[in-house]
Amino acid sequence: MQVGGIVLLMLLGYLLVDGDYSWPVSLTWQELPAKLDDAQTWLLEQRTAPDPNFFFAILDGFRALADWLVTALTDMLLWLTWVGTIAAGTLLVLRFGGWRAALITFLAFVSFAVMGLWEESMQTLALMSAAVLLSLAIGIPFGVLAGRSQRFHRTITPVLDAMQIVPAFAYLMPVVILFSVGPAAAVICTMIYAVPPAVRITALGIRGVTADSVEAARAFGSTAAQTLFKVQLPLARRQLLLSVNQTIMFALSLVVIAGLIGGRGLGDVVTNGLYSNAALAILAGIAIVIMAIALDRATSAIAERTDPTRRHLTDRGKRHARVLTLATFAGILATVFAARALGADSVYPDEFETSTTVYTATIHDDLLRWIQDALDYVQDPTSFIFGITEPLGNFILENLLEPLRKLLVDSPWFVVLGGLTAIAFVLSGLRPAITTLLMLTAIGVMGVWPEAMDTASQVLVATAIAVLFGIVIGVWAAESPRVERLLRPLLDTLQTLPQLVYIIPFIYLMPVSRIPGIVASVLYAIPVVIRLVTNGVRGVPPAAVEAAYAFGASRMQVLAKVKVPLARESIMLGVNQGIILVLAVVVIGGLVGSGALGDMIARGLQRNEFGEGVVASLAILALGIALDRVTRGRRDPSRA
Amino acid sequence: MSDSSGSAAVESPEATPPAGGNGEPLVRAENVWKIFGQKADRVIGTPDAELSRSELHDKTGCVIAVRDVSLEIMPGEVFVVMGLSGSGKSTLVRTLIRLIEPSAGKITITGHDVMEADASELRELRRHSVSMVFQHFGLLAHRRVIDNVAFGLEIQGVGKAERLARASEVLGLVGLEDVANSFPDQLSGGMQQRVGLARAFAVDPQLMLYDEPFSALDPLIRRDMQDEVVRLQEETGKTMLFITHDLPEALRLGDRIAIMRDGAIVQLGSPEELVGSPANDYVRNFVRDIPRTHVLTLRWIMRDPRPGEESGGPELDVKTTVKDAVPVAAATDGPIRAVENGRCVGIVDRVSILQAMAGGPEDSGGGS
Repeated sequence: MQVGGIVLLMLLGYLLVDGDYSWPVSLTWQELPAKLDDAQTWLLEQRTAPDPNFFFAILDGFRALADWLVTALTDMLLWLTWVGTIAAGTLLVLRFGGWRAALITFLAFVSFAVMGLWEESMQTLALMSAAVLLSLAIGIPFGVLAGRSQRFHRTITPVLDAMQIVPAFAYLMPVVILFSVGPAAAVICTMIYAVPPAVRITALGIRGVTADSVEAARAFGSTAAQTLFKVQLPLARRQLLLSVNQTIMFALSLVVIAGLIGGRGLGDVVTNGLYSNAALAILAGIAIVIMAIALDRATSAIAERTDPTRRHLTDRGKRHARVLTLATFAGILATVFAARALGADSVYPDEFETSTTVYTATIHDDLLRWIQDALDYVQDPTSFIFGITEPLGNFILENLLEPLRKLLVDSPWFVVLGGLTAIAFVLSGLRPAITTLLMLTAIGVMGVWPEAMDTASQVLVATAIAVLFGIVIGVWAAESPRVERLLRPLLDTLQTLPQLVYIIPFIYLMPVSRIPGIVASVLYAIPVVIRLVTNGVRGVPPAAVEAAYAFGASRMQVLAKVKVPLARESIMLGVNQGIILVLAVVVIGGLVGSGALGDMIARGLQRNEFGEGVVASLAILALGIALDRVTRGRRDPSRA
Repeated sequence: MSDSSGSAAVESPEATPPAGGNGEPLVRAENVWKIFGQKADRVIGTPDAELSRSELHDKTGCVIAVRDVSLEIMPGEVFVVMGLSGSGKSTLVRTLIRLIEPSAGKITITGHDVMEADASELRELRRHSVSMVFQHFGLLAHRRVIDNVAFGLEIQGVGKAERLARASEVLGLVGLEDVANSFPDQLSGGMQQRVGLARAFAVDPQLMLYDEPFSALDPLIRRDMQDEVVRLQEETGKTMLFITHDLPEALRLGDRIAIMRDGAIVQLGSPEELVGSPANDYVRNFVRDIPRTHVLTLRWIMRDPRPGEESGGPELDVKTTVKDAVPVAAATDGPIRAVENGRCVGIVDRVSILQAMAGGPEDSGGGS
């Protein structure tokens, strides 16, 4: 209720205060972009100096390591030849994950080949693997520490929170400045994004080992190392493998965006195709989706199958397993050497030659033509689809986005600043309110107030839509097991897709300035909102529900008066998580003309306007923190 | 499953305790305290330490789990600590090997000062001298039964062949040879706890700690397991510290029993002493439903022999329970001689037996 009052006051402020009260120039640090440009130049000089100091030596060393790893992995995939790569992937998954996952893996490889995107897929795979290896090398030790020490866990949680609040798009610029464009920068961006889940899930796994087992180990005189290696790690193995799975999914998500800063592969095809070859971008997007699904299925199957607490391996079973493993590797090596001896190419060829004729080996061109046909259809003003998408997009733009943007941008700055701070205070408390105030002020001082408010209006509209549909669908799923069963695979798939992939179809489906970013971010955020709402409604104590029915409440009354109010905390968490997810995708929309902060970064990346790009990055960071604090609610800030 | 008969267990394998006599105690705990909470160490020795649990919690936020407990356990003894949940008994047993760090007190096990031990000495103690059986078994789900049993030896650094040989030997002792290659979750609760027992026995400790080992089991299985413990104790002569909240179990197994309430020991004595002369209403309430005739022995109800009574008439061992003396008393009119090592140490007659059955004057007799 108080929030409503504050919003009403803000509206009054907007309507009543006349004149131009945009962020005052006197409160702006105008030289900031120029200073940042200078800093970038200085950094560049330092880095290329013949005798770099210690800090740059470390940066450069890490860059060299990441570059080397990507190159080595790429070379390995090429050395295997395309036949050998398919054999290696499929047989390994077959051995450790079962035939279903192996079949999916095999089909994924085949589709890369048939789509004519083999080389790009392998580059993405290598880039992702390098990022995953380095992320795990950091994430698992930290996770183990956090799992064993409550104090370390408390210390590291806010850092992980911060890493996950920042939209990936925002740290592209700083990373480029520190590491310059190239595979290393892509790997490092990916790590920033992928390390937190690795740490968290590993810690969760270590903590999940029953206290009984750990206590028994201690009672028998285990050293800390013995407890870790003989009890905690083996029992946490499934969680550890799931953390590998999550790290891979997060990494893949970012590797695609990293196409913007010199990560080659499918991401590169997508980001270039966005402007020049729409059909190709979509085709590469499809390849990414296939890769995401296959990697997810393969790694989660391996996590389930090799869980030592469920897989009762006796001595004979162990011997058998060892023999199978040996056979698997022998099979892979045999295939690779046979393929090399028979002259298989390192990448899948576009055409096969026999002595008489040349066959086209892919359906690349056919696929592109079909996609183009589909694009032409949806963009044809007379088509049925267009009749739906066009008015819908315009409606959102004219009735939601524009009014809100006007309100936020044209309102006196102090009204917006005060209003948001007040909402943060009412919803989340004093400290979050102070943080909000500081972050919003920082945005103003950096001189990007209008752009940030534009971005904020997009975020708020998208979040509102995601939360509205999320609550309706979430409550429905909580009430009906059938709906939940139908929904689950869909949500699973939506959650495995990389952020950028969401945007691609809507660029063509709803080509109205800011709309693709909005729709994509809604789709990106809605699975999480639905899940949180469903869990929240499910988690309502049955006794309360039973009591309501006993008093003769109807089903709708029970929902409206008992379930939804009691699930309020989960719904609030859904709003909070939704806003963060939406922000991440909305700023990527800058690539395709949503303007505002995302656009500044896109321009910065494409035209080397570093200063502006970094300012926009910082503003996104500040906006993200502010929006997180406003909606955080009064829950325990030290949530795991 | 077990071949020892049920009723044998009521008569404790050893005579009433060596209370303060022959030889050094295996475990000696003096004035052990455990207080949870910040600034807990500032409570002991102040008037606050005298406050009740809830008063102390309201005043300082600290919770007293163990309050000034002292006890001695003799070699070969089965010492039971009994109390309701929250009475501090599980905390007490953990403080003895510092799985939970005591707030104050002095603890000696096999002559070693536990409180002064550094990390490696403490590990040595846990590896070789003491082993523990847990309420929820604490088995390792990723290891076969035999590897679970061998775990303590593995931690000690014993080679694989040797520890597996020892493990299968101990598995034989608890009748689980057939499931050596199974995994814990394939076994019933009772069998899982047998694995827990075997794991504790495998390291051949001097002292075994049982933390409510059978609370999670069905009553019938629990009885089997109690028989098993009695049998193993008879066969191996291990010293045992047994925690339980189940009074019949305590009476069945214990040579001596300490009853705990709110972290402190309210009475410490033989089963007969607890049932025959409860120290206060709390204990009296506890033992009210225990059939006295099943616990009290002739020693408890006998009177000194008068001249001339030392020979003739029926005789019974002094450790016979009142219940078992009834048929003999019914078959004779005269006094019954209670003998120990062939010598008459006392006299019981129908009247004293009937008195004992009726609830009798509680301070009659005088224990030993």
